[in-house]
Amino acid sequence: MLVDMYSKKVFNMAYQFSGSYQEAEDLTQDIFLKLYHQLGKYDFEKNFTAWLLTLVKNYMIDAYRRTKWEKRQRDDFEKHVHAVSGPDNPETGLWEGENKKILWQGLNELSPDVRMAIVLKEIQGKKYEEAAEILGLPIGTVKSRINRGRLQLAKILRDKKEKIYGL
Amino acid sequence: MACEKIQGLLSPYLDGELTPEAKAEVDAHLSSCPECAELLSLLRIATDSLASFPEVEPSRDLKAKLYAIQARKKKLRSSLDFLVKPSLQPVFAAATVLLIIFSFYMFGPYKKDIDKSVNRQIHHGYSQLEKLYAKAGSVTDSLGATAENILVSLKKINPLGKNEE
Repeated sequence: MLVDMYSKKVFNMAYQFSGSYQEAEDLTQDIFLKLYHQLGKYDFEKNFTAWLLTLVKNYMIDAYRRTKWEKRQRDDFEKHVHAVSGPDNPETGLWEGENKKILWQGLNELSPDVRMAIVLKEIQGKKYEEAAEILGLPIGTVKSRINRGRLQLAKILRDKKEKIYGL
Repeated sequence: MACEKIQGLLSPYLDGELTPEAKAEVDAHLSSCPECAELLSLLRIATDSLASFPEVEPSRDLKAKLYAIQARKKKLRSSLDFLVKPSLQPVFAAATVLLIIFSFYMFGPYKKDIDKSVNRQIHHGYSQLEKLYAKAGSVTDSLGATAENILVSLKKINPLGKNEE
C-alpha cells in the first residue's frame, strides 16, 4: 500500500533533487527501508505525507553531504520524459523546451538547501506553509531560500541564452 | 545598488506579497531599468517552467524491489508477533524482576558480602550433609549388628524344647 501510494512521489522528489535516474532509484530504495524502520515513530495526529517528505528530505540532504553528487552531471532533461504534449505553436514549444533543459541543469548550481526548497515549492507545487513544515524551518527562511533560488535560476537562464543566442 | 535591492524584491513582487509602497518602488524602477525588467520576465519564465516539469515514471524493477522490501518487513513483523502476545506479559515481568535483582547483585556495593554469605551457607550445608551421611552410616552399622543379634537369639531359642543335637 505504501509502495503504491508513495513510491512515485518519493522517486520524483529524489530525481528532481539529484538529477540522476539511477541515483534516484537507489535513494528511493534506501528511503523505503528507512521508512519501515521509522514507521513506529510516526505520530498519527500529524500529516503523513508531510512526515514522509521530511524523512525523504533529511535522507537526501545527508546522502548529498556524504557523496557530494553535485559534481556529477544531471541526466539529460528529455532522457526519461515521454511524449509530453506541448503548446500548439512549435516555436513557443521549442523555447519552452530549451528553458526547461537549462533550468534542469541549472538546479545543480543551487546549494542543497536552496535546491530542496525550490524542488518542494516550484516543482512539487507545495505552498510556503507546507514547504516550511517539511523543511522544519520558519516560513521566512523558506521564502528567503526560494527567492534566492528563483533569482539564481533566472540569472542562469539569462546567461545561457546570451551564450547560445548571443542576445 | 538600486538594482541589487530591487532584484531582492522581485520574487515577493511575483508572489504579490509586497506592500503597496514597495510595489510602487519596484514598478518605478522597472519602468526605467531594462535589465531588472528582463530579470523579472526570466523569473516568471523560470517559475512557470519549473511548475510544468513532468513527473517521471519509476522503473518496474524499482517497484518490484520496493514490494520485496515491504513483503520482507511484513514477514519479519509477523514472525515477531508472538513477542507481543498478552499471555507472555507475566513471563516478561518476571524476567524483568529477575534481571533487576541480578543487576543489583552484579553492580551493587554488597557483591562481596553476598558472595561470602552464600559461600558460608554452601559450606554449612555441605558439612550438615556430611554429618547426616556419617549418621546414616552409623545407623546402618547398628542396624546390621541388631540384625545379627536377632539371628543369634533366634538360633538359641528352641520352641519344641528339643536338644540341639
